[in-house]
Amino acid sequence: MDAVLLTHPWSVWTIIVPLAAAVLAFLVPRRAPLAGIITALSVALFVAATAYRIFLAGPHTQMLGGWQAPLGITLRADGPALIMLLTSGLVGLTVSLYATGYFTAADRQQRYFWPLWLLLWAACNALFLSGDLFNLYVTLELVTLSSIALAALNGSPAALDGAMRYLLAGLLGSLSYLLGVALIYGAYGTVDLTLLGQTVRADGLSRAALALMTAGLLLKTALFPLHFWLPPAHASAPPPVSALLSGLVVKAPLLILFRLWFEVFPDTATAGMAHLLGILGCGAIIWGSLMALRQQRLKLLVAYSTVAQIGYFFLLFPLARGEAAATAWVGVFLLVLAHGCSKASMFLVCGTITRLAGHDRLAGLAGAGGTLGARLLVFALAAVTLVGMPPSSGFIAKWLLINAAIVAGQWWYLATIALGTLLASGYVLRVLSLAFTESQSPPLPVAPRILRWPPLALSVVAVLLGLAAFHPAVLTLAGAPVSGIILLEMVP
Amino acid sequence: MTPGPLLLFDLLLPAVLLWLAWRSLTSSDLFRAVILFIAFNLLLALAWVRLEAPDVALAEAAIGAGVTGTLLLAALTRIESAAGRRLSRPARWRPAALVLTGTALLAAAAGLLWSLRLLPTMPGGLGPLVDRHLAESGVDHPVTAVLLNFRGYDTLLEVAVLLLAVIAIWCLDEAVPFLQQPLESPLLTGFNRMMLPILLLSAGYLLWLGSHAPGGAFQAASLLAAGLLLALFSGASLPAQWSGLPLRLLLVLGFLAFLAAAIIGPLTGRALLHYPPAWVKPLILLVEWLLTLSIALILTATVIGGRPTGSRPYPPPASPAAEGRQR
Repeated sequence: MDAVLLTHPWSVWTIIVPLAAAVLAFLVPRRAPLAGIITALSVALFVAATAYRIFLAGPHTQMLGGWQAPLGITLRADGPALIMLLTSGLVGLTVSLYATGYFTAADRQQRYFWPLWLLLWAACNALFLSGDLFNLYVTLELVTLSSIALAALNGSPAALDGAMRYLLAGLLGSLSYLLGVALIYGAYGTVDLTLLGQTVRADGLSRAALALMTAGLLLKTALFPLHFWLPPAHASAPPPVSALLSGLVVKAPLLILFRLWFEVFPDTATAGMAHLLGILGCGAIIWGSLMALRQQRLKLLVAYSTVAQIGYFFLLFPLARGEAAATAWVGVFLLVLAHGCSKASMFLVCGTITRLAGHDRLAGLAGAGGTLGARLLVFALAAVTLVGMPPSSGFIAKWLLINAAIVAGQWWYLATIALGTLLASGYVLRVLSLAFTESQSPPLPVAPRILRWPPLALSVVAVLLGLAAFHPAVLTLAGAPVSGIILLEMVP
Repeated sequence: MTPGPLLLFDLLLPAVLLWLAWRSLTSSDLFRAVILFIAFNLLLALAWVRLEAPDVALAEAAIGAGVTGTLLLAALTRIESAAGRRLSRPARWRPAALVLTGTALLAAAAGLLWSLRLLPTMPGGLGPLVDRHLAESGVDHPVTAVLLNFRGYDTLLEVAVLLLAVIAIWCLDEAVPFLQQPLESPLLTGFNRMMLPILLLSAGYLLWLGSHAPGGAFQAASLLAAGLLLALFSGASLPAQWSGLPLRLLLVLGFLAFLAAAIIGPLTGRALLHYPPAWVKPLILLVEWLLTLSIALILTATVIGGRPTGSRPYPPPASPAAEGRQR
């Protein structure tokens, strides 16, 4: 039993199963929700098996087609990929369950949501596992295009407009990335990440390629000030789609950035370039939070909160240089997991509230006692992780980042993290305070169970992950490009 | 080979390409812009020929000029008014913004060109390695070997992108017939009678060629799609009872076959896409044939541009008496 568990390439099934299910959902739309649920459960199982194998036997690779790199493509199941797969498994399972209840009418939206989402899921998992620059481009295209189609799903003018901006930004980002890949292939004759990591020289060509690829990926991750396309696209999509876009999709280009900066070009990237990304990250945290504070609609508030949270991920670039590397690395990856769960849960709650109240205007939600009040409570529970209150996983992640900033002696990042947390609690409390305002609102029906339980379960998981953060933290460092011990200056 | 005329050609071609691209981008008449775009792609195919990449040239001509051009023209027919096809004057840029953007772009381009000098003059790509393993790949043409064996995983995902395109288009809109009624001209009928068999034959030939010379599934599929579109223009249509599950099944057939072939590996203790050595050639050929069929249908479906409505694509033909009156 253990022999199979420890030798079978479980991770490839997280790509194959959603691909096959997408085709089935397209062929037989009536059975699509069933295909979606079965896929969600089996992907969760395959991710667990992958985690077990990495935990016991360490990271492993697979040469597709039996061809060794540089001829063939390599898939790698390592720590960073595993954390991404965990996020994808948790968010995917929850959103799939929720979607069976959200898209109930046998209409166009339900018919096309499933094949598009299952393709997106396969593409995300393929991207997380890919160890090849060009294959990363292909998976990134599949991720972006299916996300755009999903963002336009409800066909409203606002959604089409948001999707069009998304498309143009996405294409520009892809082209820029591809140009960088072409330069690298021209210079080194290979696109395999591991081989490139051993051969890349720190010269002008590498800097040009890194700059091109980074610029493209920044546009795709929507790092401030390139975030202009994100709020309209994320806020006008149907709620399950918004949950996927914010919880999962923005992290895909992020992982490529991490792989490029720390595995392929560790010597090319200078401290100045890393600090530039760090400063943009700080800008994102402050600007995104301020914008979230000003929004009048719940969904836009959550969307701008994503713009802010993306900023934290970019603190990895300046903080992971030097002795704080392992601390920052683990902190950011835990934050990816925490943000994925909490943000998906928040968007799903938004969906339930909009379904119940018929709108998501904050002013109209005042005095939302009763059934809406209960939803707002779930929102608050998800926000515990987002803000980073103990004992949630968000807390552990931010605490590690703060420690990394202290160890690295870069106190200004610590100040930004603190300010961002303060602003985040500001916009979350602004929503929560509505539930306690005294005003008469008409009684609303109770939402169906399937719209209530999945977001609650996901936010509980996000909080509890903080108590069991040890294993994910250790797994994050398996096969990671940074190593060392997790240094802590401060004990909670 | 004397360098004289060819050198002149090599210098002229990029200049013309740049000029066409600029004209296409700045044209305020969309129809004109599309025609310039098609011309640009045809010349780009020539550039690939000059770079000794006949496979890319074929794909560029078939997909870049042919399929993309048709797609753009089909999209234009959906913009109803002639005024809609004419762009209003682009918003005036503020001089400061123009100077800033221009400087930034020029600086980036200059930096990029400057870094190109570091590229090795003799590229050390994967060519020799591919040639060394060609015998084990099951096909005799290096490009096909890369696409369907060495990097078959990329191709599998690219076919998923094509399928995604159809699903996304179907999600957005219903099909509208781009002709209110079938074109009935003796010229078209005669042309079709001549072209359809030729297209079918050359698609088959390109596909067969792909195993040992430039050609293959994508190029063959775009020829086949051209044939299907010609047939559609002259009034042929899919029977209503075929536009449901059977059509969807044909669209996904190639992808499903590829996926099934891919998972033989993990099910038998090998890597994904690792075919059993004895089956390599038949499996690749089968996947390529089914892919050609599916891709041709996918390309046709994207040009039609919407999900099938389940009804006849054209209004029922007028009665002969009414037709007589019109004449």
